[in-house]
Amino acid sequence: MSTLRTKASGYTVVVLALVLVGGLYTALAAPKGKADVGTNQSIAVKEGRQLYLQGCSTCHGLNNQGGAGGPSLVGVGASAVVFQVGSGRMPLANGASQAARKKAKYNRGEIDQLAAYVQSMGGGPVIPAGSLSDGDLALGGDLFRTNCSSCHNFAGAGGALTRSKYAPALKKADERTIYAAMQSGPENMPRFSDNQLTPDEKRAVTRYVRFITNDNKDPGGAALGHFGPIPEGLVIFLIGIGALILVTLWIGARA
Amino acid sequence: MSDSIRDRLSSPEDDGPAQPLTTAGFVQTDSRSAHGGAQVAPSTHATPATEGGDQGSHSGGRLRDDPQRAKAAERAVATLFLLSVVGVIGFVVSYIAAPFDFGKNGYQYYTPLLGIFMTLALTGVGAGAVLWAKTLMVDEETVQERHDLASDPADRASAAALLKSGAEASGLPRRSLLRNSLLLGAGSLAILPIPLVFGFAKFQHKERILSDTGWKAGARLLDELGRAVKLGDLEVGGVKSVFPDVPGGRRMADSAALLIRMEPDVLHTVPDRKDWVQDGHIVYSVICTHLGCPVKLYEAQTHHLFCPCHQSTFDAANGAKALFGPAARNLPQLAISVDSDGYFVAQGDFSEPVGPSFWERKPSYSDKVGK
Repeated sequence: MSTLRTKASGYTVVVLALVLVGGLYTALAAPKGKADVGTNQSIAVKEGRQLYLQGCSTCHGLNNQGGAGGPSLVGVGASAVVFQVGSGRMPLANGASQAARKKAKYNRGEIDQLAAYVQSMGGGPVIPAGSLSDGDLALGGDLFRTNCSSCHNFAGAGGALTRSKYAPALKKADERTIYAAMQSGPENMPRFSDNQLTPDEKRAVTRYVRFITNDNKDPGGAALGHFGPIPEGLVIFLIGIGALILVTLWIGARA
Repeated sequence: MSDSIRDRLSSPEDDGPAQPLTTAGFVQTDSRSAHGGAQVAPSTHATPATEGGDQGSHSGGRLRDDPQRAKAAERAVATLFLLSVVGVIGFVVSYIAAPFDFGKNGYQYYTPLLGIFMTLALTGVGAGAVLWAKTLMVDEETVQERHDLASDPADRASAAALLKSGAEASGLPRRSLLRNSLLLGAGSLAILPIPLVFGFAKFQHKERILSDTGWKAGARLLDELGRAVKLGDLEVGGVKSVFPDVPGGRRMADSAALLIRMEPDVLHTVPDRKDWVQDGHIVYSVICTHLGCPVKLYEAQTHHLFCPCHQSTFDAANGAKALFGPAARNLPQLAISVDSDGYFVAQGDFSEPVGPSFWERKPSYSDKVGK
């Protein structure tokens, strides 16, 4: 009985010693790296807060709670900042039916700091690290045609909505803006959660949008704004009938 | 030269009323004369058929009067014709030899090459013919009067006599039984096509093809890739195109629907439809009640569904009520629930026939509750 107890206490000592060593290791070694990331992150949040207080708080409130003319930013996430500030829509210049794309007021670093700050206030969707342009092009086409083309046009040329709102053309949007728009659903655009369109599918759509708006060289000639058969038919009618009239005049003219 | 038709036509004494044509049946005028083609030459003037070799002088200042320039024009016309030969050969050669497969080096020139050579072939012939007519042919307009529509009286009389004798020989005027039974037999043939027409009309009523869609009770909601949609897949402010989980359901154009999720307190359901929605999720047909365009432009903040064809606007938060535009009826709603595995299922078909009005459309739910 006593030998058993001795054996048991021996095991206890070993276990305790292991816990102590492990605990010391975690306390001394591991936190070092973590502290670096955390400090960087907290610096970004701090810098972001400064930028926020200067540029955004007038409308969105001192603590993101929303206020005069601006909605609450609690829970909108970093991708909403990437979309709105990255595409120049925020800060808003003047009141219109919807925010228009303009030249961005902040550079990439400042946008990331602002995004880190807004993300720290209530979380929300974040753009994943890594390349956004390596998705499956064919899958992206399928998804684009069912989910996006009804508003943004089959070639990403945009289109009209109700009461002078519009779905913008996608040619100027870069990968981050396209991805962030799907995640955050800016203004009247629906949101596409990761359950609905997985990150892989969002990357596929992102690549497809870039492909049709920027990489596609229009092998058929002038695209006429990618608005489809109506402008094409109009141009063919005007130019074609005009040319036929000239030819007819030439045939009927005196030699 | 001085004796050309033009000169004679423009002489004052010819300005008389039109007279009947003579043997040749037509006269020639010069389109460049002041009288134009409207003037019919008097019969006292000889027609070209009798003038014969005089035709050469009708061309006025045409190139054929100048042998050298005529020769040059002939060469130009011949060049155009030969150009079209080149076009035909080039078309055939590039059709066979030019790289066609997508991605192959130079494939992008295949269609333009065919187009260029076909243009050469067609314009060569066409332009050559026009140039020929404009430079080398006699530029004259001829007027020919129509002959009488009725035949010669003698021909008509003999045809009538022939018919009459044939009728006598057949015995029809005398044998009334034969005549009447023939009329009855031939007349009844007209009844033959009537069942066919009737059959077409009956088919549509039987199938209820305009009233029913592919949705039925218990059918899951599939997305565009064929995955069943679960509760929780959509965030608030999300939408998804859905199709019925029945054989061929994703190809049924009349069954396309839109699953929308909004804040449950924003969604005002029609009183009788409280259990048609599920935690802020609601499903509508996307086929416009005006002319059947896809109403899939959803505005997440206003909850408006917008038709791109004629700007009909529906309020998705209030039973897809028609707010604006030519659409008079609300969008049909699909009652949904959630099965034991958490997937959305339909409770049945749409609340009313989808799409535009049609003849036999029955008054439906939304007609009763009004807009």
